[in-house]
Amino acid sequence: MLRTIKPKNARSKRALDARLPKEVEDPRTTVFVRGVHTGDVLNGVMRDLMALKRPHAIAFSKKNDIHPFDAASTSTASLEFWAQKNDASLFVIGQTTKKRPHGLTFVRMFDNRVLDMLEVGIESWVSMADIKTPKSTPGNKPLMHFASDLFDTNPRFAQLKSMLISLFNGEVIDSICLAGLEHVISVSLGPSVPTSSSATAGAEDFSALPTVHIRTYTARLLASGTRVPRVELTPMGPSLDMKLRRHTPPDPELLKHAMQKPKLKKTDIEKGVGQKRKNKEVDEMGDLRGRIHVGKQDLNKLQTRKMKGLKGGDVETEEREGETEGQEEQEEEQDTDRRKKKRRRDSD
Amino acid sequence: MDVSGIIASNAAKYQPVEVEKETPLEVDPGLLLVTDLNPIDQEGYNANLEEHLQSLARDGVQALLASLFSLPTQRSDEGPLAQLPPPTTALPRAKPLPKPKPPTKWEQFAAAKGIQHRKRDKRVWDEERQDWVNRWGRDGKNKQVEEQWITEVPANADVDHDPRKIARDERKAKVAKNEKQRLGNIARAQGANPRGVRKEEIERTLTTARISTASMGKFDKKLDGEKKVRGVKRKFEPTEKSLSEEKNTSLALISKMGSEAKKMRREPAAEESVLNVRKAVRFAGKTRGGAAPARGAARGRGRGKGKR
Repeated sequence: MLRTIKPKNARSKRALDARLPKEVEDPRTTVFVRGVHTGDVLNGVMRDLMALKRPHAIAFSKKNDIHPFDAASTSTASLEFWAQKNDASLFVIGQTTKKRPHGLTFVRMFDNRVLDMLEVGIESWVSMADIKTPKSTPGNKPLMHFASDLFDTNPRFAQLKSMLISLFNGEVIDSICLAGLEHVISVSLGPSVPTSSSATAGAEDFSALPTVHIRTYTARLLASGTRVPRVELTPMGPSLDMKLRRHTPPDPELLKHAMQKPKLKKTDIEKGVGQKRKNKEVDEMGDLRGRIHVGKQDLNKLQTRKMKGLKGGDVETEEREGETEGQEEQEEEQDTDRRKKKRRRDSD
Repeated sequence: MDVSGIIASNAAKYQPVEVEKETPLEVDPGLLLVTDLNPIDQEGYNANLEEHLQSLARDGVQALLASLFSLPTQRSDEGPLAQLPPPTTALPRAKPLPKPKPPTKWEQFAAAKGIQHRKRDKRVWDEERQDWVNRWGRDGKNKQVEEQWITEVPANADVDHDPRKIARDERKAKVAKNEKQRLGNIARAQGANPRGVRKEEIERTLTTARISTASMGKFDKKLDGEKKVRGVKRKFEPTEKSLSEEKNTSLALISKMGSEAKKMRREPAAEESVLNVRKAVRFAGKTRGGAAPARGAARGRGRGKGKR
């Protein structure tokens, strides 16, 4: 655990302030960690992922004895330590073993604590350098494309999708230069295997899950005769084929905190952000006007000036009403008498 | 006039930009994200994988671009900027939401009275110099009296009357008052009530003073509303206890004696920390193109300009 530091000068104060929580967050700084043994494939994959992630990427060049899924090891403590020290909130850990060759683990952090983890095994890959095409500018924001129904229905793939968006595209921006869109990261799955086999195989059998294909393309925008250009893609690399392996779902309590949203500003609410905009409009003067629904008006019950001659109903009931009114009047008189007496007594 | 020829030639020249899918694509322009929820076509997948993936991606990106190009734009030096809506896909945050700053005493008062915050200009107009001068700081307006080369002295002034010193003391008193209020605000924000703390302190001093006479305050005159001094009530442990209880009390006593709070001589706290501040400064500067790191934080959302 790191000690809290009191800044000694203005520059270190600025640096520490930059690490404080913000309402609109910066992109997640990602640390690429090598495990005990990585091998050529993982080294190459991590180098290429880093090239896509730059400049918000940090490489650990030394090997680290880290086993994030092993609860008995001190790996979680290590991750938390690195997260705090490097102000990083995402880790990509490469490790190859005999049992799990070419394993790549994504670890997402919240508040310097491990939120969730996801392991994939690299089946095949083509590096960026092997595809001889123009590359995108480092630091350019990619477009992201996910293709399969499983990203919606299967929690494992929903987690993968969320993790990859956090890795490549998590930053919220409010405007973008459309001419500057350069590359696409496309994530697609193999055809889904019938669910019956996966149900019988149990949760630990990962071969039933379809392969994940990650492809990167550069996009060319061509004239189409309309406002929207026609897009053509060229493979850019890296291309990865991988299988899902172990995972840890997020802790529900921690996730609840992580999913909190900042309070909307008043101007945003007036613009209609974050809520269904119903019966509200801003007029030319900039005033917010609302429309409310007031049931159906029954004009027969409308109270106009009271006149004896206009009273409805038959004669008999009117007479009875007259009698009762007379009694009430008498009672009222008695009441007022009593009150007067009481007042006199009080004053005495 | 027959325009079918022109239409046909146009169609040949330009390729279509519409994407037709069984399930419409889910587009989130705020994150530049598109999700194609159609099941994967097995035949295309088996026949030619790369071609299949590329055509899938092209269709998705085309749909995404259609929504991006329909967004309202704003002009800028580098071309039109599309104004992105807030993202609809929920992602977990990296850090918790920033806690709101506790209001200062003035802010509380202003809120209660409905006083609007008005930003005061740093510079004020100087009639004599016919120029804008700083309100405070270098060549500040508040230092004008003490820095002018000649000052009027009243006729009945003392011999040691120093108008410059008086003006300076007045200014310094304001600074000291402001600093005191700032510290008070910090103390209040941390939860301790400064009045309560001070009251306790005074009461303790008073109690000490009361028992500090030769008779330990026995023959002192009682004041109105003076409370009786309450001494410490002694409490004795029972002489016989069960073995486990006795063991626990002894252990508690030993641990209390060895604890940090009771130690007479403390080890000095380690000054060095694991976080290298200099390195953190350098790294923060590097990722933001040499700009001051806090500037990015101050600008917040306004960093969407240009290529990214």
